[in-house]
Amino acid sequence: MNKDILIIGAGIAGIQASLDLAEMGFMVHLVEQLPSIGGKMAQLDKTFPTNDCAI
Amino acid sequence: MADQIKKENAEEKPRIGVFVCDCGSNIAGHLDCESVAEYASTLPGVVFTKENLYTCSESGIAEIQQSIKEHHLTRVVVASCSPRTHQPLFAGSCAQAGLNPYLFEMVNIRDQCSWVHMGQRENATEKAKNLVRMGVAKSVTLEPQKEIESSLIRKVLVIGGGMAGLSAADAFAAMGIEVILVEKSGALGGLLRKINRLANGEAAIDVISNLIEKVESRSNISVYTGSEVKSIGGYIGNFNMTVSTGDKNIEESAGCVVVATGALPWVPEGLYGYNGEGVITQIELEDRLKTGALNASQIVMIQCAGARTNNREFCSRICCMTAVKNALIIKEYKPDSEIHILYRDMQMYGTEKEKMLWDARGKGIRFHVFDKDKPPDVKNGKVHFFQPLLGETREIPCDLVVLSTPLLPNENARNLARTFRVPVDQNGFFLEAHAKLRPLDFAADGIFLCGSARYPATTAEARSQGIGVASRAAGILFKEKLVTSAIVAGIRDDTCVGCMICLNACPYQAISFNEISNVCEVNVILCKGCGNCAAACPSHSARLKGFMQKQVLAQIRAF
Amino acid sequence: MLDAGRHPNIDLMAYSEVESMEGESGAFEIRICRKARFVNEDQCTGCGTCAEKCPIQVSDSFNMGQGTRSAIYSWFAQGIPSTHTIDAKYCRQLNGKKCGICQKVCQADAIDFNQKDKIVNLTVGAVIVAAGYDIFDPSRIPEYRYRDQPNVITSMEFERLLSAGGPTAGHLNRPSDRTVIEEIAVLEKKAKKSEKMLGKYEEKYKMVSERFYRAFQSGEHGDEKDSVKWADKYKAYLEIKSKREALKTRAERFSTAKNLAFIQCVGSRDFRFYQFCSGYCCMHSIKEAIIAHEHEPETRSVIFGMDIRAVGKGFEEYKIRGGNHSNISYHRGRVAEIRGGPDNHPVVIYEDTISQTVKKEAFDMVILATACAPGKSLKKLASVLDAELDEFGFLKTNHLQPVDTTREGIFVCGCAQSPMDIPESVSQASSAASRAVQVLMTYRKVS
Repeated sequence: MNKDILIIGAGIAGIQASLDLAEMGFMVHLVEQLPSIGGKMAQLDKTFPTNDCAI
Repeated sequence: MADQIKKENAEEKPRIGVFVCDCGSNIAGHLDCESVAEYASTLPGVVFTKENLYTCSESGIAEIQQSIKEHHLTRVVVASCSPRTHQPLFAGSCAQAGLNPYLFEMVNIRDQCSWVHMGQRENATEKAKNLVRMGVAKSVTLEPQKEIESSLIRKVLVIGGGMAGLSAADAFAAMGIEVILVEKSGALGGLLRKINRLANGEAAIDVISNLIEKVESRSNISVYTGSEVKSIGGYIGNFNMTVSTGDKNIEESAGCVVVATGALPWVPEGLYGYNGEGVITQIELEDRLKTGALNASQIVMIQCAGARTNNREFCSRICCMTAVKNALIIKEYKPDSEIHILYRDMQMYGTEKEKMLWDARGKGIRFHVFDKDKPPDVKNGKVHFFQPLLGETREIPCDLVVLSTPLLPNENARNLARTFRVPVDQNGFFLEAHAKLRPLDFAADGIFLCGSARYPATTAEARSQGIGVASRAAGILFKEKLVTSAIVAGIRDDTCVGCMICLNACPYQAISFNEISNVCEVNVILCKGCGNCAAACPSHSARLKGFMQKQVLAQIRAF
Repeated sequence: MLDAGRHPNIDLMAYSEVESMEGESGAFEIRICRKARFVNEDQCTGCGTCAEKCPIQVSDSFNMGQGTRSAIYSWFAQGIPSTHTIDAKYCRQLNGKKCGICQKVCQADAIDFNQKDKIVNLTVGAVIVAAGYDIFDPSRIPEYRYRDQPNVITSMEFERLLSAGGPTAGHLNRPSDRTVIEEIAVLEKKAKKSEKMLGKYEEKYKMVSERFYRAFQSGEHGDEKDSVKWADKYKAYLEIKSKREALKTRAERFSTAKNLAFIQCVGSRDFRFYQFCSGYCCMHSIKEAIIAHEHEPETRSVIFGMDIRAVGKGFEEYKIRGGNHSNISYHRGRVAEIRGGPDNHPVVIYEDTISQTVKKEAFDMVILATACAPGKSLKKLASVLDAELDEFGFLKTNHLQPVDTTREGIFVCGCAQSPMDIPESVSQASSAASRAVQVLMTYRKVS
């Protein structure tokens, strides 16, 4: 049995899933197609409804 | 010996590194970062300064860490954005480079400077210099601290036995975490017990019964129905609570708490002639459909009944879907019935719901938009409404009016919020830590939320959130021990007079009065380091680490 | 984001793709291709000197094609990892031409033109797909003239314009105006070049070009070789100058966009493209209109939508606030057409249902709220993972197991499952994490 987990895509969903698993003590391999992680959310200026910075 | 002396000397004369962040153009666009960095290098104790495009970027962090090593920095000051978001990152990076993270100081030259003084470049630059000077002065007085460690109980308390709570309990159990499930009513199942069928056609009672059976068969879930949590004490990792089962009180303990108390459909007394007979709510319609007691064939459904109004602004998210679902069910077994849905916006977001809307149109269910300021009028078996598309008032005869009323938070949510010391929003729903990034967490550590207690949720959403909350809490419960910040308050027992002002000032109930020694004491695990007690204490006995008098005064005097 | 880059339990593989998968839940054998960056990740400090010196400029996809980046680039400034990457398609050196400037300027010696794609083999117990979505290409809707009208843009392009880190540093300069400004810059450069050239003649013959040209025109200088050339050059210079001045006069009238139209359901709720509702776009447009108003208090926005779906927590309140404080009006209906207008002001043609007339209105800019299209790569990924797609093109799930795909041990979250907003993606991500752990725990008990 292997305790590692593969996550495909490092947008907000992939990052959140990775962090949750990593906090629970599991080893996560996070694969992203693009040169950097962050996904579409990294392209957003601010987010509603609190207008916080997206990054 | 020589090493010892060298170290002490370093302590006497701190070697400070200052990093000034451009934050892209967020800071550099409105003040002169280069001159701020240049100015910082002239301040006493500063041996290294650097301006970064983004100090928080990987390269920025690497520069901090490298200069700690190369220039033997004993203090790091970053002038950038808000400590709320970035303090943990910078302090943690210092720790990785071997510098005690509590020897890090952050200066906010964005939220409190560049953003509020846009278009006043010179003044903003001056203010940034002032802020940096104050931060540097404070950093000199900082002391290394050690994080606080405590044990934890690998058990979770789930309050509420509806779809969200049951899903959470089942997920915890599957992850090997022991669960105490407390349900106020006599039976598990929540709102789904009152629902006829789900959107995909399954009988709601079958779905929920399967889940209940699964939960009840788990050996590591203790279920208390007809029960309530009377009181709760303790803190993350070590909560203890009294569960009243009606006839007796049971003492329990848990490391984390999940609030899944759901919501209830509003009863629209006095609205649209609601009477529970000819004018009913969707939940009453569900009951008629379930028991086969529906005998109407001309039905008008009115959306946003008591929602999206001036005094209840929120949209209850699921009622449009409920109306379309029920309309389709009626059409299915009574194809010649006439159904009109009066709406303001059809909230059929996503894939499946929008498809339902198209299907409903295809099956001859009629949709009419009405204006918030011109709501329909229900009178003598007829519904009148202004049809803006035609510019005229229309009349629909009907034998049943169904009102889609919003889900409102459980009545005792506010009491529960007080017991658990967690906040609710203006509508009475529980308030999560962050609307976007932490939807399932409370700001208070170790307490989580899911399902309609947070905000109206569909069955699938409640289920997903219930399963998800287990992951959030397991992030704590799977750990060996808890490590919390050292920035906490302490009360000097030699000067405390036991006036107990701090007890009321503390929003986290972290302070208690020791009746034997007659002084107040801080529970460092509960303490969040807000500093209220330190500000309130008349004898200056309560003090907050990292914000000691000499530290704050050094900062102020540098101005 | 940074937390993910720093967590000791997270092994980050950016610029990589899953190539194949074998095995089953509990023990999947995964083959991952780590694409060559031609930059050594461990050595690159992300200083950006290479990008500054790189002679090749290509369109910047992070900024949705607005503005340019170098052939060696970082995806965005705060990107993680901050390692730069060489775009092999455009790099001169990698295409057999002489260059290698980046290698010369890199102090960390991180450039490696010989780097090859690397295959990594992994064994994992469970897989979570969070592959996201694609932005719908609005040029497929001919009546909205996205291709022809420079000031008709997508909401993501608008997002980049609003961003301080974007191509306009947060100023709402219209794309058509930006093109003019860019043209002026090009002409300035050309003018400088020809001034330099003219200077050489001026020095040689000790005469200013203007006087020479007048004399030449009156036939004083005959047709000596130098004279003809000089005259030609000066004539060309005058043309450049007059063109530049004309553009400059035009540019004087430019101001930032203040009159905005947002068009909802572009590609969504449309049987020609995607029948579903993309869920987040109404709120996205409202947010963008509010931020635009924050940038410039004179901004006025009209949001055209069939329904305004503000269904999340605090969303309806946010929408009302936008109407009351940010000069946003909401107009019910689908826009029929967008046409070109004078000064590149797109004209929106729509039906005013209250007055029951067809109306035309010109705006400074029109923003298209594009659909959340199922990812092109998702189809390929689904076949690699042997998981089914649903009728809409997203990964198929069951509403009582909202994050379980049809393949055991493989879970999904976010917009790879269906269109959803950020809080939903986040809670679903936790849900997928929870399910993955449950799978691993089951196996642990058995073994």
